[in-house]
Amino acid sequence: MFVSLNWLKEFVDIKIPPYDFGEALTMSGTKVETLTVVSENVVNIFTGKITKIEPHPNADKLIVCTVDMGTDERVIVTAAKNVFEGAIVPVAVDGAVIADGTKIGTNDFRGVLSYGMFCSIEELGMNTDLFSKEIMEGILILPAGTPLGMDARELFWLNDVIIDVELTANRSDCQSIIGIAREASATLDLPMAGFTIYAATESSNQIADYLSVKIEDQACPRYVAKMLKVKKIEASPLWMQVKLLNSGVRPINNIVDVTNYVMLELGQPLHAFDYDSLQSQEIVVKTTTDKKIVTLDDKERNIDETMLMITNGQAPVAVAGVMGGENSEITEKTSLIVLEAANFNKGSVRLTAKQLGLRTEASSRFEKGVDPELAGIAALRATHLLLEIGACEVIEGLIDVYPCVEALKKVNLDVNWFNAFVGISLTIAEISKMLTRLFFTVEKISDHVLEVEVPSYRLDIELKEDLAEEVVRIFGYDMIPGTIMGGETMVGGKTPVQKFQDALKNILVGQGYYETLTSSFTSEKRLQGLNSQREDNLIPLINPLGEENSIMRHTLVGHQLEVISLNYSRKNPFGQFFELSNTYRKNEKPGELPIEEQKLAISSYGSEDYFDLKGAVELLLAQSGIKYPEFIAGGSDFLHPGRKAEIFVNGIKLGEIGEIHPVVVKNYELPKRCYVCQLSFDALFECSSLDNKFTDLPKFPASNRDLAILLKSDIPAAAVEAIIRKNSGEILESIDLFDVYTGAQIPDGYKSLAYALNFRHHERTLNDNDINPVIDQILSELKRSFDAQLRE
Amino acid sequence: MELELKQLRDRCLTDLNDVEELKTLDNVRIKYLGKKGELTIALKGMGKLSSEERPIIGKLANEIREEIENNISAQKQLLEHKEIEAQIREESIDVSLPGKKHLAGNLHPLTTTVNELKEIFLGMGFSIAEGPEIEWAKYNFDYLNVPQDHSARDLQDTFYYQDDIVLRTQTSPVQVRVMQEQKPPLRIISPGRVYRCDEIDATHSPVFHQMEGLVIDKGITMSDLKGTLDLFAKKLFGEQTKTKFRPHQFYFTEPSAEMDVTCFKCGGVGCKVCSNTGWIEILGCGMVHPNVLRLCGIDPDEYSGFAFGMGLDRITLTKYGITDLRLLFENDLRFLAQFK
Ligand SMILES: [Zn+2]
Repeated sequence: MFVSLNWLKEFVDIKIPPYDFGEALTMSGTKVETLTVVSENVVNIFTGKITKIEPHPNADKLIVCTVDMGTDERVIVTAAKNVFEGAIVPVAVDGAVIADGTKIGTNDFRGVLSYGMFCSIEELGMNTDLFSKEIMEGILILPAGTPLGMDARELFWLNDVIIDVELTANRSDCQSIIGIAREASATLDLPMAGFTIYAATESSNQIADYLSVKIEDQACPRYVAKMLKVKKIEASPLWMQVKLLNSGVRPINNIVDVTNYVMLELGQPLHAFDYDSLQSQEIVVKTTTDKKIVTLDDKERNIDETMLMITNGQAPVAVAGVMGGENSEITEKTSLIVLEAANFNKGSVRLTAKQLGLRTEASSRFEKGVDPELAGIAALRATHLLLEIGACEVIEGLIDVYPCVEALKKVNLDVNWFNAFVGISLTIAEISKMLTRLFFTVEKISDHVLEVEVPSYRLDIELKEDLAEEVVRIFGYDMIPGTIMGGETMVGGKTPVQKFQDALKNILVGQGYYETLTSSFTSEKRLQGLNSQREDNLIPLINPLGEENSIMRHTLVGHQLEVISLNYSRKNPFGQFFELSNTYRKNEKPGELPIEEQKLAISSYGSEDYFDLKGAVELLLAQSGIKYPEFIAGGSDFLHPGRKAEIFVNGIKLGEIGEIHPVVVKNYELPKRCYVCQLSFDALFECSSLDNKFTDLPKFPASNRDLAILLKSDIPAAAVEAIIRKNSGEILESIDLFDVYTGAQIPDGYKSLAYALNFRHHERTLNDNDINPVIDQILSELKRSFDAQLRE
Repeated sequence: MELELKQLRDRCLTDLNDVEELKTLDNVRIKYLGKKGELTIALKGMGKLSSEERPIIGKLANEIREEIENNISAQKQLLEHKEIEAQIREESIDVSLPGKKHLAGNLHPLTTTVNELKEIFLGMGFSIAEGPEIEWAKYNFDYLNVPQDHSARDLQDTFYYQDDIVLRTQTSPVQVRVMQEQKPPLRIISPGRVYRCDEIDATHSPVFHQMEGLVIDKGITMSDLKGTLDLFAKKLFGEQTKTKFRPHQFYFTEPSAEMDVTCFKCGGVGCKVCSNTGWIEILGCGMVHPNVLRLCGIDPDEYSGFAFGMGLDRITLTKYGITDLRLLFENDLRFLAQFK
C-alpha cells in the first residue's frame, strides 16, 4: 500500500527524517518496503496563465504564448496543441530542471526567443501510469483558479515521500491514512489530530422523500446512505487530485474523487449512485437471480444467486463491496447522488470478487475486514468534503440501517503473566501507558491486572497474547534480552532411520555419484514414456499446474531419466546420479492418507556399463551390512528385457536394476546406454545392519581351491554360486568368480566359470580330507542340476 | 693336494667374477660347494693323506671354503645392488603426467545446507521430526489456527488431492502431529518438502523446502526465542552476525516476528545480496498461539513455547550466491559439481 508522508503529517507531526520514520514503523510492526521521493530533480517550475496566443511568424507548427507568471510576464514558444488562452500551466523557467534531469534555458525558436517551456505530467515527475494517453502527451492544464507563480514542488507535492508499506493480513485497520497515522502516533509517542465531518444541525428528514434502504442478507451488517444535490460535476481541486495521485489513485471527477479520497483516508469504501438512474425509491441489499450485470469498467459480468447485490428492489445496480453498475453511474447529467457507505462481510466479498475475477480497491479492503463503525463517520466525512469543494448541496437526513451494533471487546491483561511470558519486567504503569498510546482504553482492576477495552477497528485483538504483542512491539522487540532456554536437558539427535539415510547418501557420493533434486510431480504422458502399463494406484491432483505436473510420482525413474536427458542434451559426456526421495501411491484403506514410500534411485550414462552400476549397488549393499543379495533376471518394462534384474535379500525384494529399454531411450531422448537401479528405502533399512561387531582374526590358515566349471551359457552364475554355497557348509569363507570364458576350447553354447574358493575353520587347520568331500559334493550337485563339468 | 686346492680356489674366484646375474650365482656355489661340488669331491680325497698332512690340508680346505663363501656373498651383494640400480634406471616415470581419474560426487547443495542447519539444532538438543507431505487439510490449516475463509485454503494457493487432503503448504503439520503424539518438553525441527500453487520462476517453485522448529516446555519465554535463534544465526553465519526481530503476523504464533540477520556478504554495509539494506530476512517465528496448543491437547496455562520456520531453498540460494531457483531443480552436472 502506498502512503503519502505529507498526507500522514496532516495527522501526526512527524519531524524525524523519512528513513528513520520508516525504520521506526518497521520495528513497531508496519513493514516499510521502500521510501520514494515523488520527484527529486524538479526545480524552478512555476504556474503561469496563458494570456495570449499568436502564430509563429516563421513556423506553422509553433505558437508564441504570452504567459502571466504572477510577478512577471514571459514569452514561451511551444508546439503543444492542447494549450489555449486562459489555461493555467506549469512553466519551467530558464534555470529549471525537469524530472529526467534536463536543464531548461532560453532558446531561440526560428527567430523568437522562448524563456522556458510548458511541462507535461512526465516532465513534472508525477505518476504517469494513472493518466490517459491524451493527458500524458499534452501539457498539464491546471484547474481554473490555481494561483499563479506557485512553485510546482509545493503545488504538486513533488517533495512528498511515498511510503510503500506491507501490511499483515490481520491489520485491516491500517489500510488507510488514519490507520498508519495511528501507528505513527503510537510508535513515536506523538499526539494524533482529528478530521472534520459534516455535523450541521438538520431540521428535516428530507431524504425519506427520496429513498429507503432495506437489508435482506446478513452479509451486510450496516448500510448508511446520504443524499446530495449536485452543483457541478467537474475536476476536483488540485490538492485532492495530488493526494489521490500520491496514493496511486487516478483522479476522475469531484464526486468520485471524494469517495476515493475518503476510502484512502479512513479505509471505508464508498460508492456514489446516480439517483435518477436507480429508477426507484428504494435500495435493497440482497442476492438475486439475475444472470448478468455491466460493471463500471464497461464489462458484462456473469453473476449468480451466491453474490450479494445492491438492487433498486428489482435489478442489481452494484456488486456489493466490489464495483458499481454502469446503469447507475455518475454522469455529467447527474443531479442527485446517493452516497453509499456500507459494510459487507469479508467472506462474501472475497468469494464474489474471486468468482468474478475482479479485485478492486474496495473489495480488497472488505476482504480483509472493515470496521462497521466506520460507515457512518465516512459518510459524514465525504459529505463534508463534497460541500467544502463546492460539488454538492446537502439533502437533509441520513439513512443508517445497522441492525446489530456490537459492544466493544474487553480483554484482561495480567502483568505478572505478561512479564513471565515475555521474559522482561515492566511495571503496570509502563504497560498501561503503552496500551494507551495504541488507543486502547485501560483500567486497572487490581494491582497486577488491567482491563483493556479494544477500539472497534482492532478486529485482530481477542486474547491476552494479542495484547502482549501490542505492548512488546511498542516496547521494542530489540529491547527483549536473548536468553538460553532453561528446563530439562534434552539429548536430541538422529533416529537410526535418519542415520541410515545419511549413510546411504555418503556411500554413493564416495563412489562418485551426484545427488539430484527433482520435483514430485509427473503426468500420464511422462509415465507413458516409461513403456509401462497405466498404473491404477496413482495420486492425481485436483488442481495441478498443467498436465505435465498433474500426478504425484510413484517412481523416481522418470525423473532420473529426465536428468540424464538434460545432461546429455547439454553435451555433458557422462554422469552418475542418485536421489533418495518420496514416492506416492493410493492407499486402499479408506479414511487413511496416501502411502508415501521413500525410494533410492541410482542412474548413470556415458562411461559405465551394467556391471559398473551393479558393482556400485553391491558395494552400497555391502556397506549397509546387507549380505548375499540375489540378482534375478526380470524387472519392469522400462528396462532392457535381456539386461534387467530384480534384487532380493532373504526373499525380500529390494528393487531392480538394469539397462534402459531402447524404446524408453527414444521416448526420453537418452544416450543409447543408460542404467538405472531403484531400491525401496524401507526394504533396505529392514535388511541393513550398521552395527559393527569385532570378531577375532583367524588363527588358522585358509585353504584355496580354484574350480573352473563348464556349463551351458544360459545358466545364471548366481545359480551356480547358490549351489556352491549350499554345499560348502560353514567352512566356505569366500567365493570369487574371477573369470567368465567362452571361445577356444569351449563348445558353442557353453561357458566356463572360474571360481576361487576360500575355506577356513576357526579351530584347526583344514586338510584335504576336509575339503575334497566338499568339492566332490559341489561338483556332483552342479552336474545333477546343470549337467556342469569340471574343466581340467 | 695343496696346489690342487689353490687352483680350485682360483678357478672358483674367476668363475665368480664372471657371474653377471643373481640367478646364475647359485650355479657357482653348486659347482664348487654343492654335494657334488669340486671342493666337496676334493675333500673326499683327503682320506688318502697322511695323518700329518690331513690337519694342514683340512685347515686350508676350510679356509678356502670360507673364502669362497665370502666371495659369493660379496658378489651377491654387488649383483643385487646392480640389479636395483638397473631397475631404478628402467622404471623412472614422468611424475608430472596426470593422475588416474577417480569420479567425484557430492550432495546436492540443498542437502548440504539442510545438514548444516540440522547439525546446529541437533547440538542444541533438538530431534528431527518427519511427517507426510500429502496431509489432512485440518492438520495443514485448522489445527494451525488458519481461519476457515482464509485464501491460503483456495485452489489457487494449495494443491488438493481430495477435498480434505492437501499437499502440505508448510511443514507445520509435523509440529501438530508431534504435539498430539508426544508429551512436553518438546524440542524438534522438521525439515521437508512443501507445495504451493506457484508457477516456477527465478524465485518461486511449486515444490520447495522448509524447516520449522518447535520448543514447548514450562516457562519458555520470548527471550528464549530470541536467545535461541540468535545463537542459531551466529552458528550458521559466524560469530559476528547480528540479528533483528521485527513484529509480524502468523496464525500459528502470537506474538510473531520475522528475523533478519546482518548480511554475511557485506557484513551489514549493504551490497547486492542484501539489496543494500545490510540485512537479510531469514525466518519467521513467534510464541506458539494458545489456540494451537489447546487444539493439540497442551494446556497453554501450564506450557508455553516458540516456533520458527525458514525457506531452505532461499537460504541455499543466498548462501551460495545462486541467482535462479530453477538451477536447484535442473540438475545440470556443471551446476551439481560446483558444491563440495
Ligand atoms: Zn550485503
